[in-house]
Amino acid sequence: MKTDNHRLFFRKYLSFSWHDTLITLLIMSVTTVFCLYLRIFHGGDSYMSGFYILSVFLIARSTSGYLYSVFSSFLSVILVNYLFTYPYFSFNFTLPGYPLMIMCMLIVAVITGMMTSQLMKQNDLRIKAEKEKTRGNLLRAVSHDLRTPLTSILGASSTLMENDASLDPAERRLLLAGIKDDAQWLIRMVENLLSVTRIDGTSSTRITKTEEPAEEVIDESLQKFHKRFPDTEVQVSIPDELIMIPMDPLLIEQVIINLLENAALHAGSAVHIHIKLESQQDFALFTVSDDGRGIDPRILPHIFESGIHTIDAERSDQRRNMGIGLSVCDTIIRAHGGQMHAANADEGGAVFTFTLPIEEAHV
Amino acid sequence: MSYRDRILIVEDEKNIAGFMTTILTSNGYEVLHAETGAEALMLVSSHCPDAMILDLGLPDMDGQRIIRTVREWSQLPILVVSARSHERDKVSALDLGADDYVTKPFGTGELLARLRTALRHAHNRDAEESLIQRGKFTAGDLCVDFDKRRVYVRGEDAKLTQNEYRIVALLAKYAGRVLTYDYLISQIWGPNASGDNRILRVNMANIRRKIEPKPGQSQYIFTEMGVGYRMIEDD
Repeated sequence: MKTDNHRLFFRKYLSFSWHDTLITLLIMSVTTVFCLYLRIFHGGDSYMSGFYILSVFLIARSTSGYLYSVFSSFLSVILVNYLFTYPYFSFNFTLPGYPLMIMCMLIVAVITGMMTSQLMKQNDLRIKAEKEKTRGNLLRAVSHDLRTPLTSILGASSTLMENDASLDPAERRLLLAGIKDDAQWLIRMVENLLSVTRIDGTSSTRITKTEEPAEEVIDESLQKFHKRFPDTEVQVSIPDELIMIPMDPLLIEQVIINLLENAALHAGSAVHIHIKLESQQDFALFTVSDDGRGIDPRILPHIFESGIHTIDAERSDQRRNMGIGLSVCDTIIRAHGGQMHAANADEGGAVFTFTLPIEEAHV
Repeated sequence: MSYRDRILIVEDEKNIAGFMTTILTSNGYEVLHAETGAEALMLVSSHCPDAMILDLGLPDMDGQRIIRTVREWSQLPILVVSARSHERDKVSALDLGADDYVTKPFGTGELLARLRTALRHAHNRDAEESLIQRGKFTAGDLCVDFDKRRVYVRGEDAKLTQNEYRIVALLAKYAGRVLTYDYLISQIWGPNASGDNRILRVNMANIRRKIEPKPGQSQYIFTEMGVGYRMIEDD
């Protein structure tokens, strides 16, 4: 147990890293060269220790743990003594006030190190709390939404089992269709949740990107979309050139499918959906537009938020998964370093656009 | 048809195994069921099924190991069932010798179609293994003429390049089955070709511009993202 504590202490405060070593050496040598330069061209050496205290401070600020700051404060004392204290280029620790100076440097190093690590800890805590909050919001919204279809599946299936004799085929079919519909909705919801866990946090480094042709992602999304909505026509515009984009293709597919389904669910089967891919200078622009009744202007500013309030506001007249689906889209696109926008077209209908940073290959 | 194909379902979830058994039985297959990998291997050697439907997430044994063990002595068609987010598992299962895969959750139509394709390819294996493909492949307006080494769309030559033709011909030969990027690359550019599949993707983009009538909505060659490509079944 005790050795464990020691090890933990060692890892936390005295850990070695090449990055920090380099920073320390760099700052120390820059200071030393600068001081040597000053002495040669301006003369005098009384203010050198001030520069070294500054460099110790900088090192403590930009490295982790205490190892480097303490090391550099000792090094500073030695350097000041050796280079900038008469007699030059030899050690003399018997000068008056020397123990005081060593103490000063050490205290600066330790206090700065402590402050830095505390600041970092606070920052970590803040980020963690924010993550927890979004996760909590999403979970609350989701479990709220999962209950409805589960209740209806349970109800319909037990009706089928218990009243087997008294149901006529039409009623039976209706109940079964309801079960199928709700199960499909649940699958979509779970798919969205899976996507969110694939991202895990908000940093863009967490997703594994491969280079994929944008048109193939659109192609596969449409295949899956047509499995669920076989009668909904989608017009596709893609450029002649092949656009390769670094991305997690499953996640981008999820975004496109969510947007297509949103469009299809909004205004029934009479709606026309158009998906367009364009290459701008250093990003690809995807547009999914429809000619349905558009987005309620009241919820437009909050459309990508996953909180309950959006969903509750929509529940009365819109499909329930919209809120979560869109917030998942937004999270995915941001994790890819792109941006997502929603708007109403002048001629009616909703327009969703998103961008992805590009790498282009001309065919 | 007096002979009924015998299908081995390897699946530990009782409900899923139950509904698969029901569909397969009502579609004229004879069904065997194993809940564990060990049981599956035993049934394969004792009952000689005609095909195996294998869930990759079994409690006792890694699905990949089952495929490897079966492939040591049997060409039995293997249809892998896997979850959505595990595309790497799918690819390695295919590379180990599985014939095809379906992703959970799947529809019954999809399962039956994949199974039929796997069985058909198994029955025609001898013919497929000959190096030279003869005759024609037709699906809708698309026609691959293996004798002339040409691809026609609505009767017109699609003017594919050599490599483009070879890709289309290979996909047509195994129509209905997914072919992985690595398999396609090693067949077209040789086993020492680089692992980068970009060249294949570029060729595919060109092929699609020549044979597909609607850009972005493929009718003949389907994308299986992260895995490979699949040609539609012939008419």
